[in-house]
Amino acid sequence: MRFILRRLGFYLIAFWASITLNFLLPRFMPGDPVSRMFARTQGKMQPEQIDALRKLLGVDDRPIWEQYIDYLHNIVTGNMGISISRFPAPVTEVIAAQIGWTLLLGGTALVIAAVAGNLLGILAAWRRGGAIDSALPPVLIFIGSFPYFWLAMGALYLFGVVLGWSPLRHAFTDGVEPGFTWEFLSDVGAHLVLPALTIVLVSIGGWMLGMRNTMIATNSEDYITMAGAKGLRPGRIMFRYAARNAMLPSVTSFGMGLGFVVGGAMLTEVVFAYPGVGYQLLNAVQGLDYPLMQGLFLTITAAVLLANFLVDILYVRLDPRVRSN
Amino acid sequence: MLTIPREDMSTFDRNFNPFAPAVNPMVNQAIYEPLLVFNPAKGDTTPWLATEWKTAADGKSITFTLRDGVKWSDGKPLVADDVAYTFELQKKLKGGYEYLVGATAEGTNKVTFTFNKPWSPALYEVGQLPILPKHIWSAIADPAKYPNATPVGTGPYTEVDSFQAQSYALKKNPNYWQPEKQKIAGIKMLAMSGNDAANLASVNGDVDWSTQFIPNIEKTFISKDKEHRHYWFPPTGAMINWQLNTTKAPFNDPKVRKALSMAVDRDQVTKIGMSGYAQPADCTGLSGNYEKWKNPAVKDNCSWTKLNVDEANKVLDEAGYPKGADGKRTLKDGTPFEFKISVGASSSDWLSVANVISQNLQAVGVTAKVDSPDWASVVAGYEQGTFDSGIVWSANDPSPFKYLNNAMGSATVKPVGTKTFDNYHRFGDPKADALLQDFVAAGDEAKQKDVAYKLQEEYNDAAPLVPLFSGPEWGDYTDVHFTGWPSQDNPYATLSDRSPTTVLILTTLEPRK
Repeated sequence: MRFILRRLGFYLIAFWASITLNFLLPRFMPGDPVSRMFARTQGKMQPEQIDALRKLLGVDDRPIWEQYIDYLHNIVTGNMGISISRFPAPVTEVIAAQIGWTLLLGGTALVIAAVAGNLLGILAAWRRGGAIDSALPPVLIFIGSFPYFWLAMGALYLFGVVLGWSPLRHAFTDGVEPGFTWEFLSDVGAHLVLPALTIVLVSIGGWMLGMRNTMIATNSEDYITMAGAKGLRPGRIMFRYAARNAMLPSVTSFGMGLGFVVGGAMLTEVVFAYPGVGYQLLNAVQGLDYPLMQGLFLTITAAVLLANFLVDILYVRLDPRVRSN
Repeated sequence: MLTIPREDMSTFDRNFNPFAPAVNPMVNQAIYEPLLVFNPAKGDTTPWLATEWKTAADGKSITFTLRDGVKWSDGKPLVADDVAYTFELQKKLKGGYEYLVGATAEGTNKVTFTFNKPWSPALYEVGQLPILPKHIWSAIADPAKYPNATPVGTGPYTEVDSFQAQSYALKKNPNYWQPEKQKIAGIKMLAMSGNDAANLASVNGDVDWSTQFIPNIEKTFISKDKEHRHYWFPPTGAMINWQLNTTKAPFNDPKVRKALSMAVDRDQVTKIGMSGYAQPADCTGLSGNYEKWKNPAVKDNCSWTKLNVDEANKVLDEAGYPKGADGKRTLKDGTPFEFKISVGASSSDWLSVANVISQNLQAVGVTAKVDSPDWASVVAGYEQGTFDSGIVWSANDPSPFKYLNNAMGSATVKPVGTKTFDNYHRFGDPKADALLQDFVAAGDEAKQKDVAYKLQEEYNDAAPLVPLFSGPEWGDYTDVHFTGWPSQDNPYATLSDRSPTTVLILTTLEPRK
């Protein structure tokens, strides 16, 4: 219990540090959101309108510490302000409307990549030098080192345009009524396959190699030899003895990955026109939309920290050494 | 359904407020309508919600007569009070229109705009603002933040249907004033995050009309279906300029500006930088949007916007910027003739324009380095006056006043370090000032044109900035489902889906039989 409380304290400090950074970083960027917006319209807006717009959007010239106190207060009360680039939609609404799709896409891809990658890694290490071990890693690393953008475009062109197996855009067909109906859910599934698959393809190699390498180290431990000598079934040794101990780094990676899913897979969203917060984040940064940037960064920070905290707790269960010190 | 992709919005909010900075597509095109529509492709004006207008003899007011029988989509009639209220709201929420004292309704169908000085560019500025219904908006506590989820307008397609974050449709206004022109069933907008996804939709034939940039359009788009697919890029966009910071030496010397301009190969600039889609500039500085305003004497005897390396070298030699033994020029104080061209990193087309210029300048011994940080920091440099030079867009209005005023009007010049949002190059010309005054006071268009001719002569003398090319207005379509598109032969509108002329297209298209 003391361990958990200590970790919790650490996470609270980390949270404070990161929200403070979230506050400061955008304000160190050159320019301000209103002139950015003005420049973007390239002559369609009148310069005289800038002051009115600044007032409307609440872009203020107050001292930075006053803004900071307001910001902390807003975080505590859950009021994230109004998005500048999508004015007058509140930040919470912008994020809430889209984060579901991001989680669905990123979460599905992460789970598939982690589960499949780890299983392949376990098998590869168990049969060292076997077919899986010699053929798969180079191929997966090869695919994983393609520029993602290029790979996704290629996949979309091949499976979407040429073969016509996959829809070309969006999370579901326009006109299908959202709801818990078989028609809608299967449509969402069909739209999910290709984007998720491309993420899995580029990330699975990392999972597999990581697992394979720790497994190899574990396999040479004495207790594995001992288990074999005792005459235990190989399957039991592989999963219960070797894999369980080799899994710790993967659990950490999974926790990190889970947190970063919230940030969205920006390039995937761009290529597949998939609704989500990733592209929104890019837009917010480019448009200096402080409130939306802060809202998204805060969500990401919170998710990463939360995921890590959960991993910490899980560690206590998985690894007795953590408990003892 | 007329299907159109929107490449710069990854998702839509149910927000049809025309005051929103990032307004949803078609709000000011299909839902709300202006008093008149100016068409830059042909240079003509179509009366829209107003049937006629008259400028007072002293130039200090304009009276519009509203069209009879126009109804809002909720069935209430359009009245002069709506127009007056729209301007009151516009001034309150968004500012601008500083010359406008007020708009007064006279009866139900006449509205008079009064100005604090004769101001001839007003006709198009007030004439093109979309009009809102007073009976709806006056009841709203905070109109700036009102999401206007169910808009009421006079436009042809006002009824929001099947709204989703990734797409929505606008259906027919049941009370439209020209029902015989609502030939399409509705408009469907698709959200796309970026050009690539939108281009894929266009190439695949999933959309009818698009206006995002498509590289090599003949090959990637047209060749897939030559019979039905077409594009048209009239040069009616803003003039794109190479803007030199005239508060810095040597850019304060008009001879240098002209010499640098002569060293630029505009054919190469438009061919390499703009894929051949843009038209090189001439000495009037006016884009294709102002064709009818151009002074033929200036246009035909143009020297400094044409490539002439020998002349450029000669002018620089004579102006006192000698070429050293290494072929590089120095400034008058002996330092190297070197400067930066700042362009935002995300604008790949303008970046290659800057690169072409940089290469061209080597021929006259001038070193120009292309500097490409994020747009935000580039624009901050422009606004503060700390930049050397940059590739900059310009104002694009029906009348050339704003362009010429921003290019050389002293009123728009601010000292370095003070933020400015126009005239980044900080150039003011007293001779032009007097002419600009004459322009706004001119009672009719013939007189305006006369002054505009003189302004162009002054522009030709002073070379306040280096005009590069007329920005094209992208537009491509497939007529598989709908016919009646504007074209070079029938330029009743540009092919833009987000300009005032868009409503002309929406009321002309008809389904293929």
